[in-house]
Amino acid sequence: MRRLVRDNALAMCFLLLFLLSLAGQSVAGTAAYNEDQVAEGGAPVTWLQYVTSSTFAVDVAENWQSEYLQFFLYILITVWLIQRGSPESKESGEEGLESDAEQKIGPFAGSRSPAWAVAGGWRRTLFSHSLGIAMGLIFLLSWLAQSVAGLAAYDEERLARLEDPVGWLGYVTSAEFWNRTLQNWQSEFLAVASMVLLAIFLRERGSPQSKKVGDPHSATASSG
Amino acid sequence: MAARAMAVVCLALIAASCASAEKDPVVSAAERFLSAAGQGQGGPACRLLAPKAARSLDDCEKQIVSVGLRPAAVRGVDVWGDEARVRLDGDTLFLHRFSEGWRIRAAGCAPRPGEPYECEVEA
Repeated sequence: MRRLVRDNALAMCFLLLFLLSLAGQSVAGTAAYNEDQVAEGGAPVTWLQYVTSSTFAVDVAENWQSEYLQFFLYILITVWLIQRGSPESKESGEEGLESDAEQKIGPFAGSRSPAWAVAGGWRRTLFSHSLGIAMGLIFLLSWLAQSVAGLAAYDEERLARLEDPVGWLGYVTSAEFWNRTLQNWQSEFLAVASMVLLAIFLRERGSPQSKKVGDPHSATASSG
Repeated sequence: MAARAMAVVCLALIAASCASAEKDPVVSAAERFLSAAGQGQGGPACRLLAPKAARSLDDCEKQIVSVGLRPAAVRGVDVWGDEARVRLDGDTLFLHRFSEGWRIRAAGCAPRPGEPYECEVEA
């Protein structure tokens, strides 16, 4: 049991932080929603009613989609673009999909390689891009969920303000939808750019996200 | 609010049957309100108003029957979460769902291009 926890501590730590944050968001969100409800002459809602509402769903989904977009783009773009001196990047000259030998696929696969890395055809192609596909799909589904939940919350707000509701197409072309979307995207892209650049000159001893403390600033693709 | 979640599920599954179940109590509240107001029954009409809308009138039972509200054919119903709109021939009502049921937040409403509806009675 202790071995299991130790071997999976990183994933478990972040899953626990996720659950605690989501719980905190639901409690704070209920309080904030009820403040608005009472001010507008409506009735306050329970925690259960709030966490099953479109208001909560859109707040959750809009953050999910931007995080998965960030990782999706990062995984894909770092295949083709490098940043000299950054441990987040491959070495100069390694841009692209790399050779089968470098990727240990097909005849170059090892005895412990996954079966679909050994296999040919669509299986190898699919497995070769499975991480990007998974992140991309979760991004698209989260974004779709944001649009559906967002429409419900947006039209509810419009009716409360004595305005006509808009349909899904009206919502996904509205300033509200793109404001919610882009305000999340800009922060993700800034964070990635900061990480790529700061990791050239700054260090965090012991972190695989950092170069070793003594590595030169010019060293690329090393980790400490 | 549970209905707000229900609205999301309805959209996601494109389940038309959900929409009908959502709309019936809204239409019923709107028709009872207009019927009472149209027949000069101020008490029942005011009890179907949202509290804030009722308080917006100095003497609810007298004023609500003098606005000129009348029953009319329903042309469309929209329900989003705890808010609803009922469009009728010559009138539009806005409703809010309270724990005791749907209540009228605004009545005698006319659309204004690019602006919220202008209403004879509103919360």
